[in-house]
Amino acid sequence: MKMNKKNLIQQLKLTFADTQLNEHEDDIIKIHAKKEQVKTILRYLKDNMYNHLALISCVDWINKEEFELIYILTSYHDDKKSYKETGDIYLKTKISRDNPEIESVISVFENAEPYEREIYELFGVKFSGHPRLIPLFLERDYEVPPFRKNFDTRKYVKDVFESIPVIPEEEE
Amino acid sequence: MDREQVIKALKDSGKWGHKYSLWAVYFCTGCGIIEIPPSITSRWDAERFGVIPVASPRQANLFLITGYVSVKTLRAIIRTYEQMGEPKYTVGFGSCPINGGMYWDSYNTIKKLDKYIPIDGWIAGCMPRPEAVFIAVTHLWTLIDKGMANAYKKYRKQYKYYRKNQEMALGKLEWPPLYPINEDE
Repeated sequence: MKMNKKNLIQQLKLTFADTQLNEHEDDIIKIHAKKEQVKTILRYLKDNMYNHLALISCVDWINKEEFELIYILTSYHDDKKSYKETGDIYLKTKISRDNPEIESVISVFENAEPYEREIYELFGVKFSGHPRLIPLFLERDYEVPPFRKNFDTRKYVKDVFESIPVIPEEEE
Repeated sequence: MDREQVIKALKDSGKWGHKYSLWAVYFCTGCGIIEIPPSITSRWDAERFGVIPVASPRQANLFLITGYVSVKTLRAIIRTYEQMGEPKYTVGFGSCPINGGMYWDSYNTIKKLDKYIPIDGWIAGCMPRPEAVFIAVTHLWTLIDKGMANAYKKYRKQYKYYRKNQEMALGKLEWPPLYPINEDE
């Protein structure tokens, strides 16, 4: 059976019963899933047209005490004729802020590796099964990962950069 | 060149040579480097002022720090600066190296660059236009003439303070000190 967007939405609803699906006017399908299902859904979507992971992003909802991970998928499939035919898929999942941990999706999309490392160093989300979860960009050690909402940048600047003394003038 | 200048140039031929052959390290930090390609190519033509970009810090004596300096870049800046031969002149380009600019409360940007390496002059602005580079270069000529562009001498004299600050920002440095440090003084 040739997959198209309508078919896919129906199939998704049938296969993954407890996910929430909304379709938007601007060609975006949003899927809200539980964190255990993410890998399965991604694998299913990869087999059905959506073969490119464009981005993994993270949002810190500090008042709700949770992180939201967003996997953005697009299609580079050969059968695709136009963007309108497939659009994008935003797969969203929520994980708790106290013990943020989720399964790595590298076995599905290999290019997830740097995204997961980046989210690990900037938000402190652990990806279980990631082969080398080490900092990607940052040089210094931070007590709180710097992109979390409770990271106080001004206090950090005051403590670290402003405490470094000015070079004294030379004695004549 | 008129006659008066001939005598002046012969009197202090070293300065004369340094002034008109400021070779700049082609080192890109931050967004300011976008102003450098137009400055060195035909429209503004920095070679009129003796400024040409060179690939290696060992051939250069002008260091333009173009734009914000992240902690990771600072490490490269120090290493590049220490490899340059004397006399060497540094110019901070844009408002970010001066005091952080729009990154004044960033967790990962160096705020005041002259705490880590010595700076001869600053070009303020976000972004400065290529003309500002030439104003800075002509100012640097004046400073060289008067013997005031001696930040590299300050670096040698005050090296222990610079090294201490660099270690505060970057942690332990993996290269040995450039100049001997006497702790007893």
